Amino acid sequence: MTLTIDWFAFVQVFVASMIGAVLVVGFYSAGLRLLVRAGRAPVVSPAEFTDAITVITEKDAARASKAAAKAAKKSPLSDGQKTFALGAAYLSFGLAGLAVVGGLLLILFNH
Amino acid sequence: MEAASLIIVLVIVLALFFDFTNGFHDTANAMATPIATGALKPKVAVLLAAGLNLVGAFLSTEVAKTISGGIIREDQIDSAIFPSIIFAGLIGAITWNMLTWLLGLPSSSSHALFGGLIGATLVGVGVAAVDFSVVMSKVILPAIIAPLTAGIIAYTATKIAYAMTRRYDSRPDGRDGFRVGQIFTSSLVALAHGTNDAQKTMGVITLLLITSGFQSASDPDPQTWVVFACAITIALGTYMGGWRIIRTLGKGLTDVKPAQGFSAESSTASTILASSALGFALSTTQVASGSVIGSGLGRRGSTVRWRTVGRIMVGWLLTLPASGAVGAAAAFMVVWFGNWGVLIDAILAALIILGIFLRSRRDAVTAANAMSEVADSGRAVKVKRNPPPTRRQRAIDREQARLRAEREAQGIAERKAAERKAADERAAIAARTKQAAKDNARAEAAKKKGPGSR
Repeated sequence: MTLTIDWFAFVQVFVASMIGAVLVVGFYSAGLRLLVRAGRAPVVSPAEFTDAITVITEKDAARASKAAAKAAKKSPLSDGQKTFALGAAYLSFGLAGLAVVGGLLLILFNH
Repeated sequence: MEAASLIIVLVIVLALFFDFTNGFHDTANAMATPIATGALKPKVAVLLAAGLNLVGAFLSTEVAKTISGGIIREDQIDSAIFPSIIFAGLIGAITWNMLTWLLGLPSSSSHALFGGLIGATLVGVGVAAVDFSVVMSKVILPAIIAPLTAGIIAYTATKIAYAMTRRYDSRPDGRDGFRVGQIFTSSLVALAHGTNDAQKTMGVITLLLITSGFQSASDPDPQTWVVFACAITIALGTYMGGWRIIRTLGKGLTDVKPAQGFSAESSTASTILASSALGFALSTTQVASGSVIGSGLGRRGSTVRWRTVGRIMVGWLLTLPASGAVGAAAAFMVVWFGNWGVLIDAILAALIILGIFLRSRRDAVTAANAMSEVADSGRAVKVKRNPPPTRRQRAIDREQARLRAEREAQGIAERKAAERKAADERAAIAARTKQAAKDNARAEAAKKKGPGSR
């Protein structure tokens, strides 16, 4: 009995998964970074429900919002630069979404 | 209805029940992280997971083809006996799944299914009926390689996410935004789960239809009604399984940060989707666990708790042979007693499952018996509360220390110069005072001598 194993398929899975995950995480993180540059640091409170971990309390969230607003005021960027950074942030989020859609379409077309 | 047809219907019902338990069992894998980090409310998360599992089941059929046209050699099988053998295999898988669920042992529904199916086929038909090349390349090797792949990818992605959003000036870093991103990545995990896990049951039903002559062996694609039935059943199981998360959350994933969860889920989804496209029948639980461990290690100052990792690994390793043994025992009944064996199997399995279910109702639902295994994997990595500084932070610290030292040295030099200047000024003042005193003395002397000497 001989075992025939397609090792190349494992390499394909590794490379495709790595590219997919790195593109999504990279673009999304870049988007967040640019959002902060544009003076719009996101402060997202966790959804409230019983039994769940409270990641940040309301007080923490308010403090974080205040710090974000203060940091935005101190930003050395001009209004034009901030608008550019905001546009680039949305473009990054869009590219992250495009990477996901592209991956799914690849699977659909391979099928 | 003939006994053979009755058995076929019974096997399809049992396969769909397995599909339902799979969805029920694995909801936590897809949605535990976003709920734990507060990205989604549990009810919304469960509903989203159910819907995406349904959609995912329609994306690809490669995994179903691996099972229906790869693992078992249909040409070596007597069509009269094989439905009963599949029945025995499913009994093995479901019993092992329920047992591990009750005991809180890490397990994998997919490997329980393969184990049960292979064990029952080996006993009921023989070694020749199992294609070990396919078993090795599409089941066993992916079981070892996929969690490792997911772990490496999650580690890299976590490093990237933290590095790109790190700030050195203590201002807001925007990492809260990953919490919103997690809604999308966890949805992708649910979608990926649908593409891989729903197809396993499709594969089993298609295998049954092929071996009993209802479908041609040259076309191992699942029929449309099979795809719909499996997709709806897994979605229903996913939705019904949600209550366990609602009741038990908050006890499992205590230290998963949004950036880490986002990276882990991206890695899990991409690994499962890429594997599904190539027909690898993975355990989504194992892949998600590998990602959680990898992303934990991607955080600064983290160390592995090898004892926890070992316990999880043992659970994984046990699944295939243990469910295989239960499947083989059920197949023995079929071989010895024929259709009566099927009935005995069904009664025994029903009793065992009912017993396990009643036993589970007696105990309160805790993290130990109801939380997802993925949450357990989160405890395999210990992350320091105050992580060591990054290379850049160390460089900044060094630079600050150098500037401080320079300032101090400059201060000392300035102080010394000032002291020297003060000393010089004092000396000058003293000299001037001395000179003035001398001048005064001379003037006094001249005054005294003045009138007489003239």
